[in-house]
Amino acid sequence: MSTQKVSITINGEVFEEDVPIRMLLVDFIRDKAGFTGTHIGCTYEGVCGACTVQMDDEAVKSCLLLAVQADGHSVTTVEGLAKNGKLSNLQKSFNEHHALQCGYCTPGILMNMSEFIAKHPNPSDEEIRHALIGNLCRCTGYVHIVDAVRAAARQAAE
Amino acid sequence: MSGHQDAETREGWFGAKFSRKEDHRLITGRGKYIADMDAPGMLHLVFKRSDRAHAKILSVDTSLAKALPGVVAVLCGEDIKDKITPMPVNVVLPNMPAKFPQHWPIAVGKVRFHGDALAIVVARDKYIAQDAADLIEVEYEDLPYVGDPEKALEPDSPIVHEGWDDNLIFEMTFTGGQTKEEQDANDAEVQKVFDSAEVVVKERFRCHRCGVTPMETRGALCTWDESDGLLAYVTTQRPHIDRLALSDILEIPAEKVQVVAPRDQGGGFGVKAPFYREPIIVAYMAKELGRPVRWIESRQEHLMAVSQERDQIHDLEVAAKKDGTLLAMRNRGIGDCGDGCEGVYWGFLMPFLGAVEMPNGYNWPIGDVKIKVAITNKSALSPARAFGEFPTRFATERAIDMVAKACGMEPADVRRKNIVPTLPHTSITGEYMDSGDFQGCFENLMDQVDLESFRKEQAAARAEGRYLGIGFGIGVELSGVASELLVPMENQPGYGAATVRIDPRAKVQVYEGDAPGGQGHETTVAQVVAYAFGIHPNDITVQTGDTRTTPFGSGTIGARSGSYFVSAAFNACKELKLKIATVMAHDLELGDVNPEDFDFLDGEVIYRNTPNARKTFREMVERIIMAPINLPQGVSGGLEQTSFFEADKPMICFNADCAKVEVDTNTGEWKILSWTTSEDVGRIINPQIVDGQMHGAIVQGLSNACFEQFVYDENGQQLTADFETYKLATAADVPDITVTHKPTICPHTPLGSRGIGEGRPSAIPGTLSNAIVDALSPFDVEINELPLRPNMIWRKIQEGRAKQAAE
Repeated sequence: MSTQKVSITINGEVFEEDVPIRMLLVDFIRDKAGFTGTHIGCTYEGVCGACTVQMDDEAVKSCLLLAVQADGHSVTTVEGLAKNGKLSNLQKSFNEHHALQCGYCTPGILMNMSEFIAKHPNPSDEEIRHALIGNLCRCTGYVHIVDAVRAAARQAAE
Repeated sequence: MSGHQDAETREGWFGAKFSRKEDHRLITGRGKYIADMDAPGMLHLVFKRSDRAHAKILSVDTSLAKALPGVVAVLCGEDIKDKITPMPVNVVLPNMPAKFPQHWPIAVGKVRFHGDALAIVVARDKYIAQDAADLIEVEYEDLPYVGDPEKALEPDSPIVHEGWDDNLIFEMTFTGGQTKEEQDANDAEVQKVFDSAEVVVKERFRCHRCGVTPMETRGALCTWDESDGLLAYVTTQRPHIDRLALSDILEIPAEKVQVVAPRDQGGGFGVKAPFYREPIIVAYMAKELGRPVRWIESRQEHLMAVSQERDQIHDLEVAAKKDGTLLAMRNRGIGDCGDGCEGVYWGFLMPFLGAVEMPNGYNWPIGDVKIKVAITNKSALSPARAFGEFPTRFATERAIDMVAKACGMEPADVRRKNIVPTLPHTSITGEYMDSGDFQGCFENLMDQVDLESFRKEQAAARAEGRYLGIGFGIGVELSGVASELLVPMENQPGYGAATVRIDPRAKVQVYEGDAPGGQGHETTVAQVVAYAFGIHPNDITVQTGDTRTTPFGSGTIGARSGSYFVSAAFNACKELKLKIATVMAHDLELGDVNPEDFDFLDGEVIYRNTPNARKTFREMVERIIMAPINLPQGVSGGLEQTSFFEADKPMICFNADCAKVEVDTNTGEWKILSWTTSEDVGRIINPQIVDGQMHGAIVQGLSNACFEQFVYDENGQQLTADFETYKLATAADVPDITVTHKPTICPHTPLGSRGIGEGRPSAIPGTLSNAIVDALSPFDVEINELPLRPNMIWRKIQEGRAKQAAE
């Protein structure tokens, strides 16, 4: 099994590891770096979005990347959203609007939506719903998620 | 004073929006799901699954797999069949007249569906385990595929289970009485009603195979210790039942088996309620190898092995008067069970309960309801929210609209005429409906939707060539499952159980033997306990799902939490309050006072008749736990109570739905313009959590009704084992939902609350189909099959046009 040395920064911490080339980024994040907030919900096909992280501030699905492709890049996971123990406005909004039930899809949605809000300061509900198509949620019916994202976006725009 | 009067007169946490206590860990990535757990030296288990639907296993060559470095063990069915007790074992066997197929955790002798597990690999690394599984070579001899449930019941059908005479796992008559003579007499009466009825509608309704697959798949992590025994972390809704079954099957004494449902589970919806085969072999391997073994199910194997429900056909006839009064229903149902190898449910309990719930909240004077359930070469039906009734309610709600059409009436008026007017009510199939105001709840819906204006809008739109429609549906749903039903159905008790422990710092711990998967139990029960003791919900922590620390419970099923579990917790609090009051009366020398006359408010305990007789909750707790001297006679120190709750009779909740749609007749595509509901969920504990349950259930119903479908080809190859092909609704596919409430207090629970959420998706397929049919009324179409795909709608429009052109 051929391996390669990688250096990946996750939530500001540098991880240098010799990894099998076939290792998926999501497995590196979970098993090597120990950030288990990034989840796996589909068969590594990029449909469920539970593994969404940000690489160089862009939301990506970490099951569709190899760890070696993240070599030299900076990755933020859900564990990196709160700064100095302070929740982001989006995280707070998810709590206030009851935008999660089982919470399994939530980390991926937070990583996708925090990028979305940063780029789209005043989204319509339709824009939010379309921005969410890469994240499946089975519990909430999406209603409270849309409410939470809308409220956080308005707060960010103020 | 009863609990709910108490609740009416005092403010508190009960009924308040309180942001969930569970959320902080989940939004910061600190949840601990099964895949986030490991143990030193842990090994990874992977299943090799059949690529045939029905075949004899001639040989399994594991030599290449065993030779792969990193592989610790490879086993097939022959290796375990003399070492593991086969199913069925009594604890997961319904008290029902059915046949129960013998089976092992991995296939022995033959495979019975595409995806049947037939071998396992245990390796040090999960990638290597998968590589090794791919190296196992299986030689099969194909057997004829049994895929059509009706043909499976014909005398010349190939038989799926060896030693059986046919493929019939279960059949039942639900109406008329217990004896054959009573049932025959009843059926003859029904026939007379049909013979003389002014209106008869008849249709075959088919619901496709789909379910409510959770975002987290299944998994198990097992460790073995010679003295402590088996510790099994399992994704499950019923850890206490799993413990008993694992003990029986692996012949490990029960005191040496501990099952823990992870505190965080990524949804269950019924899918994690059965006792499945896979955890048996994970536990067995942990014991055999003396090392921790973990299995995390892939999405592919999940969609092949479980999450498949709803697969039923119903030939339904309804007799009515011209004025829309329902006279009788007659139904012949067939369930496609799959292989039925599944503890607790055996694939047929869903069609069973679906038939029980078929009459819904309508008043049928008489009926003749029968079903048969057939074994086929598919994955066993596994439960999904709206357990069994998604197909039967689709049929019933569609039939109500067909009666309306035949009578030339508004479908809403036919419902008004036939919705059960007074409760309690026992349906023709024996379902007991305890309380509520069905008609009031339906009228609340009608107040929201303004039917008259819609009809004008609809007429104006049609003049422009646009097709709008409105549809209705109702649902009577279980609020918990009483022992009266659960003992015969699942061989398990229905009571709710809770242990409430007050610690010396006046903080409270609640222990629940059931195992939630996102419903917010930690918050809901904290609000109930906070209300009971007059303290803050943040002073309360909740532990769930650990068989070693929690009281016995049958699991998180059938909306048991808002009905049974919180009632048990509240009753435990009441006992503890009486003890605290008794000690306080003694300490303050209040004389012969009633311990119920003490209020627990804002951290204080107050004697109602002498308000200056007050102590803080904390000082009373410290006094009883830490300074148990000079206590009243017969009172011991300490504050901990386990209580069980069971209502005298089964309980229900109620809902009514209205959808408005627009259909594009050129393409068959349609759009939901609005979705409005009216709910009777009893006294509401946390309105935000209740609404979240409704939103989720409704969208699950829409996703099932419109998108999701498990497809087997003519050889039994399952073609839909990923989320590309088994499509779930995305946020862009579904509408916003307007939930309104018309609650009635449940008189049978101490708080007046009802359990909610389980059955809630059942009203969706009928409501939505009725709206589409209403939009297409100029083409005279009827919908009798799901899913509601645009191509099916388009085809029906073409058929309607052709028929009209011919006339």
